[in-house]
Amino acid sequence: MTLADTSSRAGTVFKSLAAAAGVVLGAYLVWGLRSLIVPVAVGGLVAYICRPVVARLERSRVPRGVAIALLLFVFVLGALFIVNRIRAVMPSDTGALELRIRALYTLNERYQALMGLDRSLTRGNRIYRWVYGDLDPLVDRVRQLLALTPEEHAQFVASRPRGAPAAGPDRLVEYHRANVDTLEQRARTALAEPATRSTVRPPGAPPPTSVGQTPLAALGDIVSTWIISPLVFLFLLRDTGEIKRGLLRAVPNRLFEPALNVLADLDRALGDYMRGLFLECCLLGVTVGLFLTIIGVPLRWTIAIGIFTGASNVVPYMGFAAALLSGLAYALLAEDIRPLLPMVSSENFAIWVIVAVALAELLKNVVYEPVVLGGAVNLHPLVVVIGVLGGATLFGPVGMLLAIPTITVAKVLVSSTTRQLKAYGLI
Amino acid sequence: MFGPVPDTAVAEKRRSLVDFLKQVTLFEDLSRRDLRRLARIVHERDYHDSEYICQEGQPGAALFVVRRGLVEVVRRGSSSTEVPLAMREPPASSEESAATGTESVRWFSARARGPVPLLALGKSDLDALSVNFPPLANKVLMKLAGIMAIRFQILLDAQYLKESGEHPEATP
Repeated sequence: MTLADTSSRAGTVFKSLAAAAGVVLGAYLVWGLRSLIVPVAVGGLVAYICRPVVARLERSRVPRGVAIALLLFVFVLGALFIVNRIRAVMPSDTGALELRIRALYTLNERYQALMGLDRSLTRGNRIYRWVYGDLDPLVDRVRQLLALTPEEHAQFVASRPRGAPAAGPDRLVEYHRANVDTLEQRARTALAEPATRSTVRPPGAPPPTSVGQTPLAALGDIVSTWIISPLVFLFLLRDTGEIKRGLLRAVPNRLFEPALNVLADLDRALGDYMRGLFLECCLLGVTVGLFLTIIGVPLRWTIAIGIFTGASNVVPYMGFAAALLSGLAYALLAEDIRPLLPMVSSENFAIWVIVAVALAELLKNVVYEPVVLGGAVNLHPLVVVIGVLGGATLFGPVGMLLAIPTITVAKVLVSSTTRQLKAYGLI
Repeated sequence: MFGPVPDTAVAEKRRSLVDFLKQVTLFEDLSRRDLRRLARIVHERDYHDSEYICQEGQPGAALFVVRRGLVEVVRRGSSSTEVPLAMREPPASSEESAATGTESVRWFSARARGPVPLLALGKSDLDALSVNFPPLANKVLMKLAGIMAIRFQILLDAQYLKESGEHPEATP
């Protein structure tokens, strides 16, 4: 073996070790900084969506800095609008108490009607006999969340008008009384049952308190983590190609052109996906809002549900779940609905919510996705499901959010790199 | 690679790059504002002596502009030996068809003679320019088409002269 051979082998071993150390260090850093992944990704992805807008403004002779400032201004206005909308639908302290009383009453009524429960709340129809072991503890838990504490009870009583109201008995007081009766009944049942069957707590008992961060500390944590998001957004939007050129500078000359093509493919795939997804989220939000308005949900609630649905749709299948849950939550609380369709009534309202959301989802799958997203993702549905579940298992909500873009990037990276290396005779 | 560079150094470098781009035939009609925009997207590459810039038989993805030094254009002959065709010197450009995305395979190789800094403009860069700044991309593409037409004309003349019995200099 010659000296040159030994030197070449040592060089290869050194490079392999350096690459392995790099991979381990990279993985360690990703794991250590995983709390920053979502803010960085969100900032980066929003910048990606906004890049064409800035370019368009720049084309109209608006300096890049001014274009970014304008965009930020629009974002701030949008955020203020959303906060105002949320504030508009957020009830006051007393309103929240009334909402909980109404929700608990409706829940008890509907649960009793559906399960055919008697006055003792222990005997019901056949459905009840099948599912009571699983459903009763769940419903009891929801009841506990909605039930008023002694302080809240006192606040509620104080908030009611004194004396007999002219318009008849106070409906909310009656609801509250019925709720207390139900809770007492369930508490009595719970005493007579094995401890495992029910988790009910007597009415008036304080709810279990969780030991954790104070709200201010939690807010501080969120702000300190998310402060990076606007910085990444600004940095990436301000970039006019330095990052790409920096990456390509590190590439050897013989790989320059293949790398240029791979980066272009990645840019195209990610750009198409992000812009398509953004448009699809907007369309789904508007569709859900429109359909819910048609079946009688008030406009201020449909706007809130539409925004929530659109934002959730970033994670596959989550938009549908968000629309269904929020629609059904409204159906649970709704007392007076004003549907545009004559066949919708308060009795079958929940079914119409399901129909409306299912129709919106169908429209998304059949029209929006093929037209808007097109071949931008082109992943098998099974890959999407496994990717999202795998991402959730490994990284929680972060993994769910980033699963599809990551799979898309990995797929394009592998296929484009292989194609380019073959075309340039490097493999 | 991403280390901070003092602003004045960056500005100075960009200014000299813009001045150089102004001398390139392909970009001579562009305004200073357009040249500054172009300077933000071109890639600066350094090649050492005898290193191949592009190779015969490979697809092209970028056009190159010689910034300093000499580039030799060669073609493999029948006995697999390289036949020199031409020498390129600053501010010559080559491989225009690659930037227009004609998916053509290169019929010649280009090799650095001594250390050669080059500027590269990728097809993808030109695509992005077409989306973001169509008037600028149009000017570049029109000029590219003009240069390619002239080269085609020269090749036709050369072929005609060759058939007439004379020996013209090849121009890739």
